[in-house]
Amino acid sequence: MDKIRAFIEEQFLVEFDDDDFPEDSNLFKEGVMDSFGYVQLCRFLEREFAITFTEAEMTGNVLVSLTQIRDTVAAKLKRNG
Amino acid sequence: MCGIAGLIHTDVASQDLPDIIAGMLDRISHRGPDGLGTVIGDDWALGTARLAIIDPKDGIQPMTDAGGRFWLAYNGEIYNYRELRSELEAHGVVFHTQCDTEVLLAAWLHWGAECLPRLNGGFAFALYDRRDRRLVLARDRFGKRPLFHARHGSTLLFASEMKAFLAVPGFVFAQDPGQLASILGVWTPLPAQSGFTGISALPMGEWMSVDAGGRMERHAYAPLRFADGPAPASEAEAMALIRQRLEHSVRLRLRSDVEVGVYLSGGIDSAIVARLTTDISGRPPATFSVTFDDASLDESTEQQAVASALGTRHHALRITGAHIAEACPQAVYHAEMPAFRSAFIPMFLLSRLTRDNGIKVILSGEGADEAFLGYDLFKETLLRGAWDGMDEDTRRQRIARLYPHLGHYGPQEVAALTGLYQQFSTERMPGLFSHELRFQNGRFSARLLKDKADPFAAIAALVADNDGLKGLSPVERAQWLEYKTLLPGYLLSTQGDRPALAHGVENRCPFLDQGVIDAASRINLHFDDGYDEKRLLRRAFADDLPASVVNKRKFPYRAPDADAFAAARPDYLELVQSETELAKLPFVDTAFARRLSTKVLKSPAGEISTKENQTFLFLLSITLLHRFFVSRDGVPGHSNSRPRPPVMRAVDLRGQP
Repeated sequence: MDKIRAFIEEQFLVEFDDDDFPEDSNLFKEGVMDSFGYVQLCRFLEREFAITFTEAEMTGNVLVSLTQIRDTVAAKLKRNG
Repeated sequence: MCGIAGLIHTDVASQDLPDIIAGMLDRISHRGPDGLGTVIGDDWALGTARLAIIDPKDGIQPMTDAGGRFWLAYNGEIYNYRELRSELEAHGVVFHTQCDTEVLLAAWLHWGAECLPRLNGGFAFALYDRRDRRLVLARDRFGKRPLFHARHGSTLLFASEMKAFLAVPGFVFAQDPGQLASILGVWTPLPAQSGFTGISALPMGEWMSVDAGGRMERHAYAPLRFADGPAPASEAEAMALIRQRLEHSVRLRLRSDVEVGVYLSGGIDSAIVARLTTDISGRPPATFSVTFDDASLDESTEQQAVASALGTRHHALRITGAHIAEACPQAVYHAEMPAFRSAFIPMFLLSRLTRDNGIKVILSGEGADEAFLGYDLFKETLLRGAWDGMDEDTRRQRIARLYPHLGHYGPQEVAALTGLYQQFSTERMPGLFSHELRFQNGRFSARLLKDKADPFAAIAALVADNDGLKGLSPVERAQWLEYKTLLPGYLLSTQGDRPALAHGVENRCPFLDQGVIDAASRINLHFDDGYDEKRLLRRAFADDLPASVVNKRKFPYRAPDADAFAAARPDYLELVQSETELAKLPFVDTAFARRLSTKVLKSPAGEISTKENQTFLFLLSITLLHRFFVSRDGVPGHSNSRPRPPVMRAVDLRGQP
């Protein structure tokens, strides 16, 4: 799961930090996420964890913070497992 | 076309004024290589570097009235000058030249500021009233021609390009971090912004006066309007209206005493302009295009198709990444503004080719996408606005019709894009709904600055202060923002006027005509859902142009970006890589800037996102502007072999009542 954090830090040139930029920051509201980056992130998660996202899942605001992304991926892996 | 410059209310010794005004004009003489003209008073001076287009022999400036009270320095063209002249003659005005300059002076003397809404053209002018010691500055309604002003002690300075101020003793340039934040966020300056402390642009559609006491007043004379007339009764009528308005607009813009050429992009808009130019003038024009080795950027097939179909004398300029890296410093110097992409640099090189082929005036397709909803931004606004009420199938179909040229908008990405749009379906930034997704890239670029103040505060205030926006639809609001930001702040300036005039070429835009915009507004979204962009515009000319061009989808004009610099490694990249160099710009977040530069210059091109590309271009252009304007270190293109234009008029009124 640390790979997700590393990917986001590299892709968006940010550094998570408990005080200034905690892992539950909304990446859209913080202005970190753009359309290209969001699609790259989804591609990365699908490839890395061999999962796929459906449109219905994506309307549930699942992928907006690192914390949420981790939880979502973990839940999907558990279901698949 | 010309460059104008001047100063009023100055306490500089009057014997120094001739050198100062000559120096200011010299800095912008690329705009007007045909001749310099100046007039000098006891505490004022103004002048023109002229590119002679209409009545080359008699249109010498600065021009004055019969009594010698008013002095006019004028840059641009008023396309309906013949009609205005007839109207003024009917009022008893007698003319001595065939030039539009004289018509403008007479129009101001006759109607005052009420003359401005009557003018159809691209212009900026300065009119000094000797008796009242009052200056008027005015600018065309769309911002086709530039005009900047600045206070310098008691003096008010003005010029077509800010580089004229480099010649004013004691004038200091300083980049303004507050304006830079807004420019990085929005992608372009707002109408009054210059990027430099203490320098303002006169916004489009405004005039201002400075009276003897130095009091400044600004007036908007042409608020942007979208026609409220009825839609045509049928598609056939709509297409006839489009053709009629565009033909009239091109006809006006072919008024010139020198030959007019056309810039062909490969898209439908410039193809229409070339077609109408051929039909109206009775012979095919000279056409000019840029081409690229990179097939994902190149449109030479479509350019050739149009040139062959019309039989134009076509000139194509092959642009490589190395050309871009080499010309970048000069192009940035001419642009004077931070730039978010490199596509303006080929236009700087294209104007040189145009001039070398003896063409001083060109027409282009600029402005069509704003008027006829050509950009995907407008579709995206429609989709996001309706998102919450749509079912999954409709959303999927709509997404599939967006951004066909972007790799990350393919059908395999529908789930990810659904997640993205879900986040942007309700307005978060009041009045800026249409641009919120775009501004995410801007937020990233704004991280170049140390001060993390809101980069959108200035544009939010601009929108909130504008009552005219209240009655507009979401798509019209998106258009309004385009007409106030990207169009004047980049397309008409950094990519339009500045690179063209760098080599003495005047660019004219038939789609930026109020009659054309009125027609488009009456037609847009009345006959279709807007997702098939510019459908009726394309259909209106379907029988007159190659099908490959008519049916081609919107393909944004782009050029090699960061990869060009990564491959060519020009010396000046130290400006964005060296800690010492970056430290010269105290407002830059050096750590972020270096991290970005390293990533952009060392990663494979496919891994660099749009936002990183554009942020890199911003950083590079900001550091180059710092070098040329703030440090004044190796200002390009000044002491080269370019001959100084001849002095055509030098009027000395010092010591005269």
